[in-house]
Amino acid sequence: MVFLRRIWAFVVRDWHVTISYRMQFFLRVLSVLIAATTLFFISKIFAGSTNLRFAEWRDPLPAWLTGLAVLNYFMTGFSSLANAIRQEQMQGTLESVLMTPITVPTVVVASSAWDFVEATFFSLLYLIFGWLFFDVHYRGSTSLALAFLFLTTLVLSCLGILSASFAMVFKRGDPFGIFLGTGSALFSGVFFPTQLINQYAGSGVASISKILPPTYGLDGIRRVLIEGQGFSQVREPFVTLLIFLAVLLPFSLWVFGRAVRRAKKEGSLIQY
Amino acid sequence: MSESPGDRSIGVSIDHLSKTYPVPFLRLKKLFRRKFKPPVEALRDISFQIREGEIFGLIGPNGAGKTTLTKIIATLIQPTSGEVTVRGSDTVRDDAQVRRNIGLATAEERSFYWRLTAEQNLLFFARLYGLSGSEANRRIKTLFDMFELEELARRRFAELSTGNKQRLAVARAMLAKPPVLLLDEPTRSLDPIAAARLRSTISSLARDGENRATIFLTSHNLVEVEELCDRVAIISKGEIRALDTPQKLRATHTRNEEVSIIFSPDVADDVNLALRQAFTDQSFTLERASRDERWRLNFSREAEDATLDKVLTVLHQSGAMVRGVETKRATLLEVLEQYEENYRTDAGGEQS
Repeated sequence: MVFLRRIWAFVVRDWHVTISYRMQFFLRVLSVLIAATTLFFISKIFAGSTNLRFAEWRDPLPAWLTGLAVLNYFMTGFSSLANAIRQEQMQGTLESVLMTPITVPTVVVASSAWDFVEATFFSLLYLIFGWLFFDVHYRGSTSLALAFLFLTTLVLSCLGILSASFAMVFKRGDPFGIFLGTGSALFSGVFFPTQLINQYAGSGVASISKILPPTYGLDGIRRVLIEGQGFSQVREPFVTLLIFLAVLLPFSLWVFGRAVRRAKKEGSLIQY
Repeated sequence: MSESPGDRSIGVSIDHLSKTYPVPFLRLKKLFRRKFKPPVEALRDISFQIREGEIFGLIGPNGAGKTTLTKIIATLIQPTSGEVTVRGSDTVRDDAQVRRNIGLATAEERSFYWRLTAEQNLLFFARLYGLSGSEANRRIKTLFDMFELEELARRRFAELSTGNKQRLAVARAMLAKPPVLLLDEPTRSLDPIAAARLRSTISSLARDGENRATIFLTSHNLVEVEELCDRVAIISKGEIRALDTPQKLRATHTRNEEVSIIFSPDVADDVNLALRQAFTDQSFTLERASRDERWRLNFSREAEDATLDKVLTVLHQSGAMVRGVETKRATLLEVLEQYEENYRTDAGGEQS
């Protein structure tokens, strides 16, 4: 109960901060609409000529919109905690938060809670704009797609915790952010099938996509939502994500605890 | 019969505490032969205890180690060696329990969310302390009344004056009614009336019967420390130089006090003569106090000896009417300066 109350406290706080910047919110909604519209027109270039080898890319617009919606969510899972920690350090509020009887895992979950609320809204906005204005339809099990989304986001949150640990100790220059931020868009199949990397860049480069959790998340979600596949057909990416989670969750929490202790030893909690 | 602080149980215990800030990434710097500054020794072998319900003051010059010590008690910095316990809980091993028992108010304005109102800020922190919505609202209302912040409740933190931000920081420290309060320069930016009111509040918190708080106060306002604190520690270069009641600290510095007596009419010559006859080994100075017939007689005496009484008798016998008497004892500032001077002398002696 107290745990939920604390998470709620962070959500309400961030909601208040967000609505104090109303203009920014409306501009973000507008930018999603503009991006969806742009992709609609680009997709018309490929109408009827898409290679049938990639079933879910027959009409690239649903694949792109799903890709962008999911990438937005994944990136939140990955970057929100590090951003939250960095922002609290810059504002000078991190000490005040850590002065309360709040545990490290609670800080981890609560700091990103509002970002997930916001990411859910904007990710849905991509799909809703596609359905509302560009006749994009989805099929398959929504709950299975959500399970994929949840699982992949959890895995990315673990990487986000590692990134936040880096921010806690080194303050800036986070290598996870650079690798995953730019790497996911290129290697995880957000805009094109990952098989093309193998075809054009060789198996060595293509193997990068295999070590990125978003590759499995995006693959699973597209196969469920666009192809209508069931759990038995998407078991492999699902299990892979579970293995990622089992390894990364305890490791990232351990690293974060160490990072907080180190910052306390150096007295650098509010330095940035 | 009132209970003395010595009869009470321990609120905060500090045992052989030392803190040296490590050089970040020392191994890497050595590996790449990069220059680095030596580690900073902020605190050295500090030990003292604060009893429950006691107001304990820590004074010292800038960079003496006051903030480091406060943050170690608050679990925000880990000590290099030694132990700090708050109501029996260790600040490193049992930090969550310690944080339940303490409230920290710093003079750091950046510790609040500037886009949120005063009320939203307190509500956020109240929830982190685990208070339910109704509990939090009740508590916040009480604190707003106590610190006269009701009218500012819906104003953004960014719009508050420095003094009001300071008051809000103290209010936040008291949200969960912690038994131990750490106050880092609580009245620094307050106007004299607000500062006096806050001092009165702080004083009453430590005297509030069963719920009395243990208060650890750092301040540059030495008058405030003298007024509020049961005991005071003087810290310099990370070491405790002295620790006692304000009265005893002053007395260890000097037992003398300066006395100044204003009298009229113009009978200075008679007074001078009578004083010479009455006192053979006491020096006096006489000066005009104003353009009228008032004179000022200055002398020093050992606190509470019979000199003042005898001087007053002499003045009466000489036909003078006493208009005012002022006494000035050593202040904590002078005590602090003395310790700093002693430290510099000792350090200079050791070096030579």
